[in-house]
Amino acid sequence: MKENLLTILILLPVVGAIALLGHHLFWKRESHLKWISLGFVSLEFLVSLLLLSDAKPSANGFYFEKNLRWIEAIGANYHIGVDGLSLWLVLLTTFIMPITIVSTWHAIEKRHAAFYVFLLLLESAMIGTFVSLDLLLFYLFFEASLVPMFFLIGVWGSDNRIYSAVKFFIYTALGSLLMLAAILALYFIHADATGIRTFDYVTILNSMRLGNLVLTAQTGALLFWAFAIAFSIKVPLFPVHTWLPDAHTDAPTAGSVILAAILLKMGTYGLMRFNFMLFPEASREYAYVFIILALIGITYGALVAMVQPDMKRLVAYSSVAHMGFVVLGMFSFTEQGMQGALYQMLNHGVSTGALFLLVGFIYERRHTRLISEFGGLANVMPVYATIFVITAMSSIGLPFLNGFVGEFLIMLGMWQSAAVAHPWITTMIAGTGVIFAAVYLLWMIQRVFFGKVTNPENEKLLDLNWREVGLIAPLVFLMVFMGVYPSPFLNRSKEAVVSIQQRVIGGEKGGAIADFIKSEEVISQLENR
Amino acid sequence: MENNFLSLIIFAPLFGAIINWLFGKKANNEVFSATVACASVGVSCVVAFMIAFGLGTPHAGALFMPEGKPVLDHLWTWIEVGNFRADFGLAMDRLSGIYALFVTFVGLLIHIFAAGYMHGDKGYYRFFAYMNLFMFSMLTLVLADNLLLMFVGWEGVGLCSYLLIGYYLKWDTARRAAKKAFVMNRIGDWGVIMGILLVFTLTGSISFFDKVIDGVKIESALRIISEMPAEPFTVGAIFAGGITSAAVLLFIGATGKSAQIPLFTWLPDAMAGPTPVSALIHAATMVTAGVYMVVRCNGIYQNAPTAMFIVALIGCATAIFAATIGLAQNDIKKVLAYSTVSQLGYMFLACGVGAFIAAIFHVMTHAFFKALLFLGSGSVIHGMHHEQDMRRMGGLKKYMPVTFATMVTGWLAIAGVPIFAGFFSKDEILYKTFIASNLPANWNYVLWGIGLVTAVLTAVYMTRMMVMTFWGQERFNLEIPGEEHDSPFEEHHESHDFKPHESPAVMTIPLIVLAILSTFGGLVGVPYALSSLVGLKDINVFEHTLEPVIVKVKASEKHAANYHSAVIHHESGSLVENTSEGFQKVAEPRNDEHGKLETKIETTEFGKAETHSATGHHGHSPEEIKTERLLALTSVILAVFGIGIGWVLFQKEPLRKMPKVLEKKWYVDEIYNGFIVDPITNLSRKVLWQGFDLGFVDGIVNGAGNFVVALGAVVRRIQVGFVRSYAAFILLGALIVIGYFIYYGLKLIG
Repeated sequence: MKENLLTILILLPVVGAIALLGHHLFWKRESHLKWISLGFVSLEFLVSLLLLSDAKPSANGFYFEKNLRWIEAIGANYHIGVDGLSLWLVLLTTFIMPITIVSTWHAIEKRHAAFYVFLLLLESAMIGTFVSLDLLLFYLFFEASLVPMFFLIGVWGSDNRIYSAVKFFIYTALGSLLMLAAILALYFIHADATGIRTFDYVTILNSMRLGNLVLTAQTGALLFWAFAIAFSIKVPLFPVHTWLPDAHTDAPTAGSVILAAILLKMGTYGLMRFNFMLFPEASREYAYVFIILALIGITYGALVAMVQPDMKRLVAYSSVAHMGFVVLGMFSFTEQGMQGALYQMLNHGVSTGALFLLVGFIYERRHTRLISEFGGLANVMPVYATIFVITAMSSIGLPFLNGFVGEFLIMLGMWQSAAVAHPWITTMIAGTGVIFAAVYLLWMIQRVFFGKVTNPENEKLLDLNWREVGLIAPLVFLMVFMGVYPSPFLNRSKEAVVSIQQRVIGGEKGGAIADFIKSEEVISQLENR
Repeated sequence: MENNFLSLIIFAPLFGAIINWLFGKKANNEVFSATVACASVGVSCVVAFMIAFGLGTPHAGALFMPEGKPVLDHLWTWIEVGNFRADFGLAMDRLSGIYALFVTFVGLLIHIFAAGYMHGDKGYYRFFAYMNLFMFSMLTLVLADNLLLMFVGWEGVGLCSYLLIGYYLKWDTARRAAKKAFVMNRIGDWGVIMGILLVFTLTGSISFFDKVIDGVKIESALRIISEMPAEPFTVGAIFAGGITSAAVLLFIGATGKSAQIPLFTWLPDAMAGPTPVSALIHAATMVTAGVYMVVRCNGIYQNAPTAMFIVALIGCATAIFAATIGLAQNDIKKVLAYSTVSQLGYMFLACGVGAFIAAIFHVMTHAFFKALLFLGSGSVIHGMHHEQDMRRMGGLKKYMPVTFATMVTGWLAIAGVPIFAGFFSKDEILYKTFIASNLPANWNYVLWGIGLVTAVLTAVYMTRMMVMTFWGQERFNLEIPGEEHDSPFEEHHESHDFKPHESPAVMTIPLIVLAILSTFGGLVGVPYALSSLVGLKDINVFEHTLEPVIVKVKASEKHAANYHSAVIHHESGSLVENTSEGFQKVAEPRNDEHGKLETKIETTEFGKAETHSATGHHGHSPEEIKTERLLALTSVILAVFGIGIGWVLFQKEPLRKMPKVLEKKWYVDEIYNGFIVDPITNLSRKVLWQGFDLGFVDGIVNGAGNFVVALGAVVRRIQVGFVRSYAAFILLGALIVIGYFIYYGLKLIG
């Protein structure tokens, strides 16, 4: 059971998808489909909670690890496992899915079976991505997540869905193409150096740790960039973010929620797991590029969000700003910054996911998302307004709501970072994002909720029903809980994050001292040999 | 000293807020909502008094603890990552004790007043839920035992302020004002966060106190900084990333929360909220949070003479600037709002000259008389059926005798008439400014002079307000040309047989209590120079209570002064040259060991010198007493003079035309909108979004896309779905990149 837990988590949604198809073929009762999917994703969530049960990590530092030969001829393994980095992302995925399914209750008007099949397959792919410890396996899951999303946007999306879906697809596919090339290159380089042909992440990493595989600076940089570009597009980092507003805007609510809450995290997760661990020298060398781009993303995303006429597009641009914060924290290479980054990934999933749900609620009622169409909604929909304000505050980073903890830790880490020459200036610029976040969200709230009801179509809007309150309530609870008591989350991720941090600053071998110059000397010595 | 009841002070109002929030709407009962709200604040108030004075507690009262040690209450560890640690822990020392006392007490009075004032409002329960939530936040701010938890309260009060300013949801003015307040506060909050980060970087701690939690020893960041050598008085120090930078960053936050130049314009707009809100949040408590923070961090400021000078300058400038605007406002609440901004300026002036205790003294007396004036204005507005324009008032003293009588005490208190509370605190600030030694030469006289002029202006505009409201002809139905109806209330008095009425007892009793406090509240801090006039000994209880709170920075004061006098006298006042010199010195990397060593030596030299703290440790020398008495006399004369001017100018002609530029508030809002807000919005819309995102990046992407589509058209002949063309893509791209690697590999071999 223990070592098969992750496999169960990956396969359960697939089983669900098959069950859906079977049910659809034999009974053709569309109203059953959502219940079946809900059953499967809820079961999935419950099973995933077992991940929290105390288990001893394997020698590699992973929990629930499983390693099987897969394609022996090329040395591809079915190697999966979780650690503090992926644990919460897996749980976030399984937690968000039931909420997403409930949010679609009345929203889907065509092809129910296909819709839910895609959702379930998507879940499977996302979990697979987070737990894969084999590069080829990771790549497959990473790509597999693309296809259901493409169809979710392209088939069930709104007005401009084809354009948005294709844009999303081309952007991310181009990025992952580079990654595939880099994975193949790494595979061959590793085989040359050690004689072992394997895609196994842990094996390759250990070869590097033991000095059996030493990348030249140039190779390391090339591979680093190939991975980094793929992940940056996914994050998305400025300037390759322009697929995101379109994809978000045209995706159905469920798609937007999953996109924001989980898919984007694959990028930041990948950067931490693969770029930092496999190419620490290049990560350090090019950290400044990412920090600068993250800074631009933070201010740029916020400024552009401010002038958006469409609520969903506004939230999408705010995602660019928030994910900029995550990237900034990661590249600070400090424990606080990286812990904050991981925490902020979860926060963003919860808060932005909730914001998209909320926009979805009003879209279902009015079939428009234009801010100018609304005004005075607080008078007719007080519950909705209240929840919206709480969620916005969490996104703004109000203390005692989740966003603050992450942002603060990121800024704390950045301020003390050695990754750039003037960390405090960097932090100060990043801090302005906090100001702008208040501007764009409050301005939207002011225009949508306050004032008199000017548009007669809004006069008879119904407030949230029990289903809607019920599905947003867990998110609101998490916002408060994660803001007031973050220790359970931070403690679990600590070990993994610290080990990544030690690796990326080169402190792994020479004790825990973060000394860049020293490690660079070591590397140059190794290279000369 | 642990006392777990401390957390009751903050959680009682939170509990009240939750009850009103959950059940208030269903109950739909004003008595229920008001009782819950007032009772919860009442509990806070009683507990605060008990712990502060040690009534029924196992330890001495927080106000009497030896060496100013705090009463602590650790609840849980909030954030702990690496070497960073922030607790949810409360602490009541003498400073937070005094704050907690007047916040809960004045808060309670205002809650009671509001129970009457808000009568008949549809959102009664919502109003009290927000008010209680505010009390929770404010008390968290005050009782927090570390900077980050203080920031929680700091943001919390900002949120409640936002909610309460925007309380009249349907009113455009209110919703704009609410957003403006939040955003301007956010700009300041940026400074606070950065300040906290810098303090942590400098000390490795964010705690206010030395304490031991679960066997872990936590050091006080403030103590560590106060033990560091003082920084030099230079412009460069501001940007050097040291103590001065931290002090300036924190002060940026204070300018936001306490409405100082340049972030003051939100406070007058905030008057769109219900009047009890203006009294509680925008006069008595929240807006003084900035002062609280500066005084709490006095150990930081005393080591940062440059920052002190900035604080004094900003405070002084704000004081006079806001006073001039206050002269020309016609809305009774706007007058009081600008008056608040101006009085807050006084408090920062006091901080800037090192008179931290005087600042807190003024915070307290101001809380009394300004809450009184605001509630009084609320009573007037209530009696006038939501009329706020003083041009339509006049002659109200015969209709509203209690309101009138109580407001008179507030008026005399703020104008600085002796015996009344405001006199002692304001006088103390002016005196301390006059004798300040931490400023560049003669600046103490300049600041004192400005402060004195402000005092005159204060007396003038307050007299104008009183005269326009209570004396003269009744102008209830005055037509004001070009005025639009701007009020959340539809029913506006139009009838000609309109009669103002006195407010009910639930509103007048708080007024009376506050009037008593405004009259006698200042007697807790009578300086020796004045008490000795009537043959009394040193009865300055207030100052002696707070003395342990003010860090005795050894030699730093002397150091700064000496450094400074060297600078000034050496170059016969050519400050600029010296500053640039200092800039170079400080602008070097922070970890310059050499520089550190140098400063250390300097300190030890001065360390031996006579210790003299800025906190006004006076040995009652006859000369000082004489100066203090003379200055007090001056300000009394000027206060009476100001009242006289006001009376003469406005008694006969209450509608006297005031200069347009003052009426328009020096056009600050217009300038901000024209030069900051609009350009940023246009930049974002035209250049960043439409230009860069949609034009440039998407231009490239779409171009590439069209190319792909054209390419796809060729491939489509062989009947290809999208997925398959994607596979082709992978193959193609992979081949290109692999090709490159092969090429690169060959190059390495060859």
